[in-house]
Amino acid sequence: MGVLPKKTQTKKKNPKQIVQSMFLSEYFIFYLTVICFVCVIPFVPKIITRSNLLNVMSNLWPLLVVAVGQTFVLLLGGIDLSQVSIIGVTSVIGTVLMSDSFNEGIFSKTPLWGWLIGPDGGPLAGSSMAIPICILVMLLVGTLIGIFNGFFVAQFKMPPFMVTLVTQMFLLSFAIFLTQSRNVMGLPDGFKELGKGYLGGIIPYAAILTLVITVIGYFILSKLVLGKWIYATGANETASLVSGVPIKKVTIFCYAFSGFCAAAGSAIYSARLNMGRPTLGEDLTMDIVGAAVLGGTSLLGGKGKVTWTFFGVLFYTILFNALNLFNLSYYTINIVKGFVILVAACLDVVRTKLAVKISVQDEAGV
Amino acid sequence: MKRLLSILLVATMMMTMLIGCADKKESSDDSSDGGGGGGSKDLTIAFSFEDLETEFWVAAHEIITETLTEEGYKVIELNCQGDANKQFEQVNDALTQEIDGIIMIPVDGDTAVTVTASANEADVPIVIFNRPPTSDDGNNITVVCDNATTAEATVDHMVEQAQAKFDETGKKLTPCILVGDLGDPNAIERKNGFYAAIEKKPDIFNDVIEVPTEWDAATALANLQSAVQANPDIDFIFSSSDFLFPTIQSVVEPLGKWQKIGDPNHIILGGLDGDATAGKLIDEGYVDGTGVQDLFYETDAALKAIVEAVENGDTQPDEVLTDPGFALTQSNLEEKRMDMWGNAVGAEE
Repeated sequence: MGVLPKKTQTKKKNPKQIVQSMFLSEYFIFYLTVICFVCVIPFVPKIITRSNLLNVMSNLWPLLVVAVGQTFVLLLGGIDLSQVSIIGVTSVIGTVLMSDSFNEGIFSKTPLWGWLIGPDGGPLAGSSMAIPICILVMLLVGTLIGIFNGFFVAQFKMPPFMVTLVTQMFLLSFAIFLTQSRNVMGLPDGFKELGKGYLGGIIPYAAILTLVITVIGYFILSKLVLGKWIYATGANETASLVSGVPIKKVTIFCYAFSGFCAAAGSAIYSARLNMGRPTLGEDLTMDIVGAAVLGGTSLLGGKGKVTWTFFGVLFYTILFNALNLFNLSYYTINIVKGFVILVAACLDVVRTKLAVKISVQDEAGV
Repeated sequence: MKRLLSILLVATMMMTMLIGCADKKESSDDSSDGGGGGGSKDLTIAFSFEDLETEFWVAAHEIITETLTEEGYKVIELNCQGDANKQFEQVNDALTQEIDGIIMIPVDGDTAVTVTASANEADVPIVIFNRPPTSDDGNNITVVCDNATTAEATVDHMVEQAQAKFDETGKKLTPCILVGDLGDPNAIERKNGFYAAIEKKPDIFNDVIEVPTEWDAATALANLQSAVQANPDIDFIFSSSDFLFPTIQSVVEPLGKWQKIGDPNHIILGGLDGDATAGKLIDEGYVDGTGVQDLFYETDAALKAIVEAVENGDTQPDEVLTDPGFALTQSNLEEKRMDMWGNAVGAEE
């Protein structure tokens, strides 16, 4: 689903038009990522060291899984601002269940003390099944919050911005309330492996979790009728409704999937930091939405792909890594990041208009 | 036209990155020119800090970066803006650049533990500045003020003033503490020091009112406003950090309670840090005392520790360096005024 129709892409063969087709290709952001990466190498050769590339990938996985969920909501023409708080609240809920000890002086004033947690840890402390159960609980909680968001958006036609902003505020405060702003430590070593460990010394566990969810997302959007319903609902809700698309169920599903993905990202972020943290993810909104939009997903709905989001996240992660390696001041980094996202969004608009123009010209035989 | 615009946008995007790339920190460039001092220009220190919201952090940041640069070290500055995950990612990015040492002001004590583990894994020495880790796991040099003792000494002086007021009026005072982020061991220690002093004279105080601030001025403002509305008789306030004095002023001034010492409406006021604002308010007679962290001692200790570790090839030094701190009050103002870093920095400027 490039912005340029396939028929047109195959016709053009001269160098100028190859560049044009690259520009209009759905892989444009990927080409840009490669070009940026290559351009940076002479300035900072360390960017291609094994340790740095592993670091880039380690930063990529949690952001990717959250951004994939956001893509589903963006495809509807909505936005899920609550993802950042879902990360925080699920981080707390998941980790308190498996933590092996709590300092009484610190945690005795929390509302969880006595009935859920105590000096000997959470209810699953020491259990061999603690990690999978806790991750499942995190995913379940994330999904339920997503269903809640989706229900209000679909049933009452409330603006997604407002619904998810309110949920974000509520959940952030709720997460802080649960632990009275304290971090949850004392997590099992196996959980830490999710953030830093490798299966067979080669494939990171975080990559496995992320790729499984990403492939599921890809499969839903490209192979299932549900995917077509999602695109149709985002492109024209009224027409979809008239055509028999169950738009309420589709909307609820997309928000539920978004919550599910945020919870998966939370598991990875928590494992990397080896702690449960109520404010975890608090500042990630720009990264999540920015990466999805950079990939080409439209904020207006109906346009976007999981692969585009992958390219967007890859570009975003490499850009941030390169800026860090260049030892730039933090405000320079933020200025560059903001500007690059703005330019990318402008480019997306220009590419779309250009593709439409070329398509019209082709059809008119010009 | 649109094609031209597109090309221009792509070019701009690339240029932005490359221009950004060219904007390397002066400290690095200066260092490569060869500074003075005994450091080697081939050595790089990453300095990761939380943010520059308070005068204490600003002054610490300035001293650490300038001293290292003057001594010929390359400094990589990493500002995580209060985000623990970003701090973790930034330090990991720095570790891939074969840095020789890390000085870190962690977002909180738990993040210090996590980042220490990464530094230990990479065999890079790390100094935790001013905010201690919450556990002994891993090896690091921690430079920290004895917050409990310093807070207690400050509040002891405030309690003396409270006793005098109680003797004069016969009315119990209502104490209030602005508590910092409880994920920060410094905040907990300051709170403990406050209670240790208050509990010495339980008969002259009503119940303590705790106002959470999360080390954030906006949060402090909202919560203090609510607390003052609910308890209009608050007449004894200890701020866990000096940077909140302007916030306190903005809440109590409209109520006619921002008065100098000696005025019947004066609120007995104390803080901790020792910044220039507190120094000025003590001079003017609005604040009764403040606990002073010896910034110069702490930065000096941190710098010496990292330089020593780097130059001796000690990749996992493990030590705690304690700054005893002191209380600057109206009683010892003449004698200790210029020992407070806020006053010293202010005078220098």
